[in-house]
Amino acid sequence: MLFTHIRRVLFPALLIFLLGGQAAQANDKLTLLLDWFINPDHAPLFVAQEKGYFAAHGLEVEMIAPADPNDPPKLVAAGKADIALSYQPQLHVQVAAGLPLTRFGTLIATPLNTLLVLEDGPVKSIADLKGRKVGYSIGGFEDALLRAMLARHGLTLDDITLVNVNFSLSPALLAGQVDAVIGAYRNFELNQLAIEGYKGRAFYVEEEGVPSYDELILVANPDHMDRAVLRRFLDALEDGVRYLVNHPDESWELFIRGRAELDDELNRLAWRDTLARFALRPAALDRARYARFAQFMQDQGLIEKALAVEDYATVLE
Amino acid sequence: MMSILRPLIIIACLVLVWQIIIWLSNVPHFILPAPARVAEAWWVHHATILGHAGVTLLEIALGLLFGALLGALSALALAYFRPARRWLLPVLVASQAIPVFALAPILVLWLGYGIASKVAMATLIIYFPVATSFYDGLRRTEPGWTDLARTMGASRWTLLTRIRVPAALPALASGLRVATAVAPIGAVVGEWVGASAGLGYLMLHANGRVQIDLMFAALLTLAFFAVIIYFIVDTGLRRALPWQPDKLPTEQEE
Repeated sequence: MLFTHIRRVLFPALLIFLLGGQAAQANDKLTLLLDWFINPDHAPLFVAQEKGYFAAHGLEVEMIAPADPNDPPKLVAAGKADIALSYQPQLHVQVAAGLPLTRFGTLIATPLNTLLVLEDGPVKSIADLKGRKVGYSIGGFEDALLRAMLARHGLTLDDITLVNVNFSLSPALLAGQVDAVIGAYRNFELNQLAIEGYKGRAFYVEEEGVPSYDELILVANPDHMDRAVLRRFLDALEDGVRYLVNHPDESWELFIRGRAELDDELNRLAWRDTLARFALRPAALDRARYARFAQFMQDQGLIEKALAVEDYATVLE
Repeated sequence: MMSILRPLIIIACLVLVWQIIIWLSNVPHFILPAPARVAEAWWVHHATILGHAGVTLLEIALGLLFGALLGALSALALAYFRPARRWLLPVLVASQAIPVFALAPILVLWLGYGIASKVAMATLIIYFPVATSFYDGLRRTEPGWTDLARTMGASRWTLLTRIRVPAALPALASGLRVATAVAPIGAVVGEWVGASAGLGYLMLHANGRVQIDLMFAALLTLAFFAVIIYFIVDTGLRRALPWQPDKLPTEQEE
């Protein structure tokens, strides 16, 4: 009697339970293109990955590091990837150029860009930049940022010489080939100088006349995005940020797990300096802040017209 | 008549193929813009593009000059001095294997961000084809000629200057043709590492500002000038070596 019961009821029930469980475990796949090689700016993503938060929300996220930071938004706009990490200033220009992109989340909620000089160099304030050489990297909007920062001190771009040093910002500054560099990140280049034994002085762009903006945002193609799936992605990301903020040391261990090449002094120092800058609520959007920065970009001539925030930023419910 | 019409027809065909690719593959305009958009961008920005083109052309010209000179001298040294062959040849080959992005920052640190580092980069890239072609030519002199010269009592120096070098000039010319074809790459790569002017800089700048039309307009301008330079050098070399037959059988019938 009992054996019949097991055969007729329990076994099928067990089978259905197991198979049903399998079907429920089919995760939604997402491709995420990072903005650069893996670095502490990506901490919450890797914490979420390693702690299983993506899996817990039914997601399988493949993270790819590009060689050229300009490619990920273009690839997402072309429908070749789901999510790209990009920069808010670039988003304004890309959308104005007709790329179908929308910001749906924020990773780093403050600017990271600074104007960097050597502490014992000739530049003690921005006014001292008159007649000096400033190094920059192509692809940023450094001339617009500089114009705004110099204007506060009565200078124009004609009073300085811009030299393209293309990413080797610290070496150019240390070698004395330039007196200041713009495009240096406060969590990276500043620490790079310290490791080489030099003290740098940073002028924070948002303190010198540039409106505050998000340095790292998450963008997707509004025509292809699955809003429900991306909402779950943001939930998992928020779990990652929460864990990172509450357990920074354990998070570091998760970050370098299986990626021993990331365990060096620069990353350790950058990690410490980036912790306070992650968006605690990745999905939240401050419309007025975005509109203010769009207006700044229009005033600087980088875009023709500041579009409505709805055209390039969205909130996932 | 045909010599003017032919290039125009080739260009028209290439533009047609480009447009067909866009129609068929539905590639977005921010990855591959249509010919019309690129033409418009060229028209709007032609002053800027040509200004930068001038800088790149200067880098190409100087790179060709120094690269060819150094290449020819190295080849002569290798042909004349046996120890040079043993010690220098591996270094020569290794110099080509080093990826340029590793060398470029060092050059920039030594030579600054002005035109010198770009010319040095172009020279490095041009140097190898010239050196190896000329060296091969010097090695491959007809044995009959060298034997005859030696029976007539020629010294190593006379053998080199009177027999090997003239016989190797066609090989040098081949090397120079290859060098002319890669010279624009050398100049542009040099600009990518740190420049404030030039077509390579303009392309990077346009890419960062999402002005893909402008980027392609600059790219096509570079290609155009590269082709022009190649034909100038090719014609010049043909005139300089009139005694070297360089026509294929069907052409000889003309």
